[in-house]
Amino acid sequence: MDWGILVALLAAAVQSGTPVLFATLGEMLSEKGGVLNLGVEGMMSVAALAAFLTAYFTGSPWLGFLAGGLAGACLASLHGVICVGFLGNQVVSGLALTILGLGLTHFFGTPYIGLAAPGFSKFAVPGLADLPVLGGILFRQDALVYVSYVLPVAFWFFLQRTRPGLAVRAVGEMPAAVAAAGLHPLRLRLFAAVAGGFLVGLGGAYLSLAYTHLWTNGLSAGRGWIAVALVIFAFWRPGRAVAGAYLFGGVMAFQLRLQATGTNLPSSLLLMLPYALTVLVLALSAWRGRGADAPAALGVNIEPEG
Amino acid sequence: MDQLPARPPRLALPDAEPVVALRGLTKRFGKVLANDQITLEIRPGRIKALLGENGAGKSTLMGMLAGRLVPDAGRMEVHGREVRFASAREAIAAGIGMVYQHFMLVEAMTVAENVLLGQEPGFFLSPRDMERRVAELAAQYRLDIDPRARVGDLSMGEKQLVEILKLLARDSRVLIFDEPTAVLTPAETFRLFEALWSMTAQGKAVVFISHKLEEVLAIADEIAVLRSGKVEAELRPEEIGSKADLARIMIGKDVLLEVDRTAAEVREQVLDIRNLNGLGLTDINLDLQRGEVLAVVGVAGNGQKALVEAVCGLTQPPKDTIFILGKPWREYYADPDWKHTLSYIPEDRLGLATMRNKNLVDNMLLTTRKGFRSGPLLQKARAVADTRELVRKYDIKPGRVRVLAWQLSGGNLQKAVLARELYREPRLIVAEQPTQGLDVAATEEVWRRLLDARDMAGILLVTGDLNEALQLADRVAVMYRGRVVAQFPVTDRDQVDKIGLYMAGVTDF
Repeated sequence: MDWGILVALLAAAVQSGTPVLFATLGEMLSEKGGVLNLGVEGMMSVAALAAFLTAYFTGSPWLGFLAGGLAGACLASLHGVICVGFLGNQVVSGLALTILGLGLTHFFGTPYIGLAAPGFSKFAVPGLADLPVLGGILFRQDALVYVSYVLPVAFWFFLQRTRPGLAVRAVGEMPAAVAAAGLHPLRLRLFAAVAGGFLVGLGGAYLSLAYTHLWTNGLSAGRGWIAVALVIFAFWRPGRAVAGAYLFGGVMAFQLRLQATGTNLPSSLLLMLPYALTVLVLALSAWRGRGADAPAALGVNIEPEG
Repeated sequence: MDQLPARPPRLALPDAEPVVALRGLTKRFGKVLANDQITLEIRPGRIKALLGENGAGKSTLMGMLAGRLVPDAGRMEVHGREVRFASAREAIAAGIGMVYQHFMLVEAMTVAENVLLGQEPGFFLSPRDMERRVAELAAQYRLDIDPRARVGDLSMGEKQLVEILKLLARDSRVLIFDEPTAVLTPAETFRLFEALWSMTAQGKAVVFISHKLEEVLAIADEIAVLRSGKVEAELRPEEIGSKADLARIMIGKDVLLEVDRTAAEVREQVLDIRNLNGLGLTDINLDLQRGEVLAVVGVAGNGQKALVEAVCGLTQPPKDTIFILGKPWREYYADPDWKHTLSYIPEDRLGLATMRNKNLVDNMLLTTRKGFRSGPLLQKARAVADTRELVRKYDIKPGRVRVLAWQLSGGNLQKAVLARELYREPRLIVAEQPTQGLDVAATEEVWRRLLDARDMAGILLVTGDLNEALQLADRVAVMYRGRVVAQFPVTDRDQVDKIGLYMAGVTDF
C-alpha cells in the first residue's frame, strides 16, 4: 500500500466522520445539560431534508446548512418542551422523535429522490494543503469540514471557560444547586437541548449538502444512533468525540474501499463493520467503568418544588 | 461533648441595629398553625440559636426568612425596611442565605466553581482567577479548604464549608444554619464553630437551628426557644442554670435526659471478636453477653464503620475472628435464621435500613420475610396485620401502614426500623448512631426501647454521642485508628473522665 491510498483513505475517514462529529457534539451538549435525547437519528434525517430543500429552492448551500441546524433545533425544542416543560419521560420522547423524524423525512422527501441541490465542494486551503500527508488528509476538504475543526475547541471553551457553559454543566449535575445559586434550571436545560439540537441538525445538513449532493431516502443510516453511542464512548469530552467520530468514519471509509476493490467478503458483513465497532467500543468503555462520568442528573427531570 | 473549644470573648455590640426583624409572623398549613405571631430580632455579630423539637416550627420560620414560604400575616424587615420575598433568589439578594441540611452542591465540579456559580464576574471564566478569589474569601474567614478540590472528594464537613463560602461570596449578612452539626464528626463540629465565631467577629449575623442543647449552650449569644409554633422564651446562655432547665423550656415537661437504668441479668455470650486484623482494623478483641450494652465510641472514621460492617455481614472478616451466637462468622452467615439472631439498626436509615419508595409493610418484610413464608408465597395479609400492630404499639406517625418510608420524619422512621428489628426478637443488636438527628422525645424513646431489649439481646452500640454511650452502656470501648485503645465499665469514673484523651489517641499518662 503506498502513501497515496492511505492519504485518500484517511481523507475519506475525515469526511465520513464529520457529520457524526457534529451530531455527537450536539448530543453531548444536550446531555451535559441533563437532557438525554434519543431522537438524534430522526433529527439528523429531518435536518438533511430541510437543508436539501432550502439549498434546492434558494440555490444557497449556506442557507441550506443553516436550515438544517434550525430544523434540528425545532425538533429538539419539541423534545425540550415535553421533557423540561411537562416532565415527560426522556427516553420515550426521544424514541418518538426518531420515529417522527424518519417518517416526516420519508413522506416529504420521496418526491425529490434523485434530484440534486447545490452543495459544498472540496477545495484546497492555500498553503496548508501542500503540507506533506496532513495537507492531503485535512486540508483538501469542503468548507463544512473546516468548520468542524474549530467546533470541538469552541465547544470545550464554551463549557469550561464561559459563564453559561458552567451553568449548563451544573444543571446537568445538580439542578437544585443551580436554583439555589439564583439561576434558572429549566431555561438552561431548554437551552442545552435546543442548542444541542442545532448542532445535530448541522450534522444532518452535512449529509445532504456535502456527503452527497443528491437527495435519497435513508441518508442518516443509523449515524444518529452512532452519535448517541459515541457520547458515552467519549466520556462526555469533546476531544474524545473527535477521536470517536473519525474512528467510525475511518471504518466506514475502509469498508467502502474494500467493497470497491472487490473482495469475496459479503458486502452486508462489511456494511455492518462500523456498527459492530460501535458495540465493541461501548462494551469496552462500560467495562472500564466510565459510565460514572455521565452528568449526575442526566435523564432526570426537574420536579417542581412542592 | 464537654470538649467544645473555648468561646472567644463576646463582642460588646449592645447598640447594633437588628439586620432582620420579624414582627408577628404567622404561617398556617391547613388547620395546623405552624408559626404563631413570631417576633424576633437578629443582630449583626451575634449567634442566635433557634432551639426547638422537631415540629416546633423552626423550619417553617426559616423557610419564610429564606424566601421559600410566604407568611400569612406579619412583617419582615431588613435593616428597618419591610420586605416580601417571592423566592429564595430575592432573599439571597437581600443578604439572607441558608445552609440546608442537604447540601446543594455539584459534586463533579471544583470548590471554586461551586462557590462562584451564578456569581461569576464576567462572561469568560478563568479557573485560576476563580480559585484565587475563593482562596482569598476562605482565608478571610479562616476556612480551611482547597478551592481546586473536586467537591465529590470532600468530607461532609468540607462540603459544608463550601456551602458557607457560597453565601459569603454573595455577601450574605445573615447566615442561617439548619441543624449544621447533624452530618459532622466532633472534630468537624469544632471547626464549624470556629468558623461561625470568625464570621460573627466580622459582623455577620448567624442563626443556628438545633435541638442539641450542649451545642446551643456552647455557641449561642442569644437563645430563642420555639415550642408549638410560638417563641416560648428568649434567653442568654448565662441565664440558664443547666441543660435540664433548657430542656424543660423546650419540651414543656421534664425530660429524662438521664434515663433510669437498672442492670439486666447477664447471660450467655452472643458476640465474640478475637484478634481481628484487617479491613483497616488492628487487634480487635471484644465480647458481648446477652443482657449487656457495649458502647463503641470514637471520632467518626476510626474504624467503627469497618467493625460494624464485618459484624453485620456486609464485609467478610478473616477466618476465625468473629463469632456470632457461638458460631464462626462463615457458618452463621451461611444461613442465618430471621428470628432470634442478629438485628442491625444502620446509621443510614433511608438508604440501608429501608427502601425509600416502599410502604411500611414492604419495609417490614425486608428483614422478616422468612417469617411470612408459606411455600413460595408470602402471607401478605398477616404481614399487613402485624405491621399495623407495630405501628400502633410504637406509635409510628402518621399511623398508616401504606405510608412510604421517605414520607416519615426521622424519628418515626427510626421507630419503624426499631419496631421491625425488635419484632425479630434478636439475640444480638448492632445499633449504629441510633439517635442521630432525632429530637429529645424520640431519643428518649429509642433509648428506652434499647434498654428494654437487653432482656432478650446483647447490644453493640456504636455512637459518636458520648452522653448516649454513658447513659446506655455497661462497658465502653474507645476506638482510635482502627484499634480499641481502651475498654472499661462505665462505673470506672477515672477511665470515663479520660475518654476524650482516648478518642484523641492518648493512652500513656
